[in-house]
Amino acid sequence: MSAPIKRRRDGRYAIKLDPSVRAVLVTMSEQLAPILSPSEPMTRRLFPPAYAGDDQQAAENDYRNLVDSALVNHHQEAFAVMAATAQADILTESELDAWLSAVGSLRLVLGTRLDVSEEMEVPDPEDPTAPEYALYELLGQLQYLMIEVLAAGLPDEGRPDGAL
Amino acid sequence: MRSRQVETALPETDPLTADWTELEESLSTDKPWLVIVWNDPINLMSFVTFVFQKLFGYSKEKATKLMLDVHHKGRAVVSSGTRERAELDVYRLHEYGLWATMEPST
Repeated sequence: MSAPIKRRRDGRYAIKLDPSVRAVLVTMSEQLAPILSPSEPMTRRLFPPAYAGDDQQAAENDYRNLVDSALVNHHQEAFAVMAATAQADILTESELDAWLSAVGSLRLVLGTRLDVSEEMEVPDPEDPTAPEYALYELLGQLQYLMIEVLAAGLPDEGRPDGAL
Repeated sequence: MRSRQVETALPETDPLTADWTELEESLSTDKPWLVIVWNDPINLMSFVTFVFQKLFGYSKEKATKLMLDVHHKGRAVVSSGTRERAELDVYRLHEYGLWATMEPST
């Protein structure tokens, strides 16, 4: 069986996913996109603080005023692209970038809800959180596959402007 | 056509070839800001490495080292610069959902 996500010779990406996986991506994107906001507890994790110090509240407020609507737009755009191309067999690089961003956001939202920690054990099948955890794991697998193909397109030695 | 006199006078007065180091240093008396990425239990290690390579153009080796610092030490300085530059980097990291903050260097 060929890989679920593969880079083609023309620079685009071949996507082979079960229809049920594609359906999950659409459903979750459509549920989250309309409620995306820093004040919504479920999506709060997508708006991390830039200034964490107690004495930096004013700077943090300025940062929020500056970026929050742009961040909302960025995430909504990624969800919209993923929902619109969820059934596609071939994605362009920018579409796959949007998938990577959207799937990452879905994982952050789910992982925060599940209160995931590094020591966490997989919940028992009877556990009420088990289905959601399975979904979280599925998104992780999908994200891993996307990173593998996208990272292969980056130079190992970095870009000339990247040297410190 | 320039006279010889002007040509010899130029190296001393041409602003484009003069030494501006002192003035430049006086302009940037502000200490650089550090961009810090914090460990979080959700983002995959390979994702964090990928973002460092993609956003900053770091080599795979350097990006991996920074990711491991984040993972093991809880945080790592991933870039530094003017406040504006640092804020832009933080924003780009936030677009990818990474837990990034900024603080002045001490």
